[in-house]
Amino acid sequence: MKRALRLVPVVLPAVLAAVTVSGIAGADDPKPPPPQAGSQADDVRIPFTKSTLANGMTVILHEDHALPTVVVDITYKVGSRFEPERRTGFAHLFEHLMFMGTSRVPTKMFDAWMEGAGGYNNASTSEDRTDYYDVGPPTALPLLLWLEADRLRDLGPLMTQAKLDAQRDVVRNERRQTSENEPYGKVELRLPELLFPDGHPYHHPVIGSHEDLEAATVDNVKEFFATWYDPANASLVIAGDFDAKVANEKLTAWFGTIPTHGVPKDPGTMGFPSPTLQGTATTLTHAVRETLEDKVELAKIVMAWQSPRHFAPGDAELDLLASVLTTGKASRLYKALVYDQKLAQSVDAVQESGALGSRFVLEAVVRHGASIDKLEAAIDKELAHARDAAVTDEELTRARNGIQSSFVSRLQGVRARAALLNMYETEIGDPGYAEKDYARYTRATAADVLGTARKVLDPNARVVLRVVPETVSTKGARR
Amino acid sequence: MSRLYVDRVALGLTAAVLASCGGAPPPPPPPPPVHVVATPVVAPALPADPLGPRPTVATPAPFEPPKPVVYAGPNGMTVWLIERHTLPFVAVTVSVPTGSSSDPKGKGGVADSAADMMDEGAGTRGAIELSRAVDTLGATIGTGAGIDETSVSLTVLKKNLTPAFAILGDVVSRPRFGAEDWKRVVELRQNELRERASEPDETARVVARVAMFGPDHPYGHPVDGTLESSRRISLADAKAFYRAAWRPDRAVVVAVGDVTRDELSSLLSSAFGGWTLPATPAPPIVTPAPPAGPFPRAVLVDRPDAPQSVIALVRPGVSASDPATPALSRVNAALGGSFTSRLNQDLREEHGWSYGAHSRVSAPRGVGMITAGASVVTDKTIDALKAMLSDVETYSAKGLTDEEVEKTRSQARADLVSAYEGAGTVAGRLATDAMLGLPADYEATASIRRDTATKEMLDRLAAQYFDPTHAMVVVVGPRAKLEGPLGAMGFSQLEIRDANGELVKR
Repeated sequence: MKRALRLVPVVLPAVLAAVTVSGIAGADDPKPPPPQAGSQADDVRIPFTKSTLANGMTVILHEDHALPTVVVDITYKVGSRFEPERRTGFAHLFEHLMFMGTSRVPTKMFDAWMEGAGGYNNASTSEDRTDYYDVGPPTALPLLLWLEADRLRDLGPLMTQAKLDAQRDVVRNERRQTSENEPYGKVELRLPELLFPDGHPYHHPVIGSHEDLEAATVDNVKEFFATWYDPANASLVIAGDFDAKVANEKLTAWFGTIPTHGVPKDPGTMGFPSPTLQGTATTLTHAVRETLEDKVELAKIVMAWQSPRHFAPGDAELDLLASVLTTGKASRLYKALVYDQKLAQSVDAVQESGALGSRFVLEAVVRHGASIDKLEAAIDKELAHARDAAVTDEELTRARNGIQSSFVSRLQGVRARAALLNMYETEIGDPGYAEKDYARYTRATAADVLGTARKVLDPNARVVLRVVPETVSTKGARR
Repeated sequence: MSRLYVDRVALGLTAAVLASCGGAPPPPPPPPPVHVVATPVVAPALPADPLGPRPTVATPAPFEPPKPVVYAGPNGMTVWLIERHTLPFVAVTVSVPTGSSSDPKGKGGVADSAADMMDEGAGTRGAIELSRAVDTLGATIGTGAGIDETSVSLTVLKKNLTPAFAILGDVVSRPRFGAEDWKRVVELRQNELRERASEPDETARVVARVAMFGPDHPYGHPVDGTLESSRRISLADAKAFYRAAWRPDRAVVVAVGDVTRDELSSLLSSAFGGWTLPATPAPPIVTPAPPAGPFPRAVLVDRPDAPQSVIALVRPGVSASDPATPALSRVNAALGGSFTSRLNQDLREEHGWSYGAHSRVSAPRGVGMITAGASVVTDKTIDALKAMLSDVETYSAKGLTDEEVEKTRSQARADLVSAYEGAGTVAGRLATDAMLGLPADYEATASIRRDTATKEMLDRLAAQYFDPTHAMVVVVGPRAKLEGPLGAMGFSQLEIRDANGELVKR
């Protein structure tokens, strides 16, 4: 089995004059890439070439001239699990700061110039990594690359208090909007703390606390940039309507000349075990229970388990199980809880895969007037059934077919393809992993799903978080 | 940049390290500022900036959206087809031009309830069997109403198109409307309506619609209705709505993806060959009058102790068929349609009051709404509202900058290209065009109108459609903190409404 974590590029001394781009097209793929992304139902490949710049930066190219658009997608291998103590939310705050400008690109001009050329961008931060993408017309590719090279080269040392303060306020409002003023939004703030032990890299939410965001300093920003925003810690994808030869010239000149300090050391699990199917179990030793009050009309139950990390044995099986449990009206939990027993308003299960470990999360909204205790008991009965008996062939086929469709349909967008190439590159070291990823689902048997359910869905090693409507006393002047 | 750079060199280790790697020379220095004296190390010996000057961007070739082939289907149906064989994937949308604007008075939500029931058992399958069959094919089928239309959408891999299309035919032309299913669906719907009231953005949208058009206007209630209106709707109401709205001479099928005209024709005749045209006259296609006002005014919805307020400025806009609509999207883009728009730059990047501010133009069959809005930290609600009003006022009075004129032209092209990536997105976009009475070549002609709009035209539209004195303010936030300050802003006739838009007695 491949390590979920990155393949580490060889660190070469940054010899400026001698940057080479060596194509190793399809190194892991004996077949020549097809002319278009996927031409029949079972073809889920995304053709690409991969190379490494002299400073260790990974470059992945995917040409497709179907639509006049081009995407640049850069992943830096740093996320919230890399944050120093008392600096929760910093990786994401830093992501915002990446747009605050340099000497070549004054504050606000990154976006102004890009949008002026018909481009747009966004970025996202997870526990494990930070992704930036830019989309534009083919003629804008040099500008997109130039803007990305500029900030990777120079942004950190030019950080100022004013830039930091501006984005800190924005991020605190992001937290208010997406977590605090949103029904059930507090779950994502609390669940990581309950599911992973204190000190575990996944113990805190990606968005962080107001207190830690307020404490962040300009020096923190400079240090974070110097440590993690290194070309050897980045991989860049260009996808869409462009000429690889022209792109390579720009990449060599603009990115290949950025100095490296080498690949920074991934702190990993910080000594905590990762849950796997064979050896280590979860760090939870009992059912952790908590109840939150929120401005909601209907109560909700959230159950969560630590589960095998992305691409490890058990990970795909849990995707299949989640589908058997909650996709469609004929799924087990929907049929039992929503359709037959009328205890739940909705139910949803998902395997949220991470590099150090994953979490399997099951959420059910309680029907108006129904008992939350009865709903919990009914869920437990279905989970016991999932641990006792294998899924049927019909259930497994249904889950697989849904996954097959999503593997094809996700190939429609150039940006989605760029993001997938970078996801596979950073999470399993092989941008061409789509076929092997897909094969996990066709290979998994009912017995594999059952074995995984038995190992992971332990009723005595989980979090049970309830969200209930505010009581009269906490509502204050509400009614 | 100069001072920042000089300061950094004086402080930082990083630049020295970079330099010793032989790496990135620091950015080119500007003409020496006064205190360069303190750091004489800079400049003449530095190699040229490896990045060079900012690349110029040539104007991209115009993008011409593909035009659908239009032809007649069985029993008076109309078919729009865009073939695309790059992926083995097909998206189909079947729609009729009757939506929530045709809900009977006091029964807001009938169109959407009827749409909800269409996949709750159809043809030979009950609700569970139908869902299982769709999932087994790896397909998706969705049903739903808008204000002007109702649609059923299918996405499926090519290899399963035939069986999936047969189910689509059942859902469109043979839904069961069973009594037990109705009871269950109504209960779920009523709970969704309860949940809606605790979602602040959703609340602002509902209240804006109700307060803008008023309860007697066809657009004056939310598509999904309210808890109260839902209680007045019977299964017979939903069935009657379905029977009147869903008839082949009103249905438009939009298919996009890996399917040929011959294949589609054969699928259509199998699925819809038996869908007979009723003898009754077709229902009227509703094109309501513009909202009457009065303006300006303000509406407050209480959300006690909320950490943020939703603020919105809402006003009458344009209809889909208005010749100004394509160009108006550019006017909107500069005000609140993208990251660098005026509102987002002011409320988010300048002041940090918000995670983002935006504006949008909704152009339905009748005159729709133009909305500008943001979620802002509660303590800055009034500051943010004043800034937004002032930004909009300045914009309507002075129009676009030359830069904005150029930027929005590029953005319009980019938007259109991205809209043509996913088959489902394209099918949905073309289905909407068809339902709004727009011709099959609308996307191409609208694109030309957007592209060729002059600054004079855009400025005129900004003045006409973004004048804040002809608008209504909606705020969802803590009444205890906001009622007084809103009154002090001059909104003396402040309306207090609940989360469904009903007036609250004071």
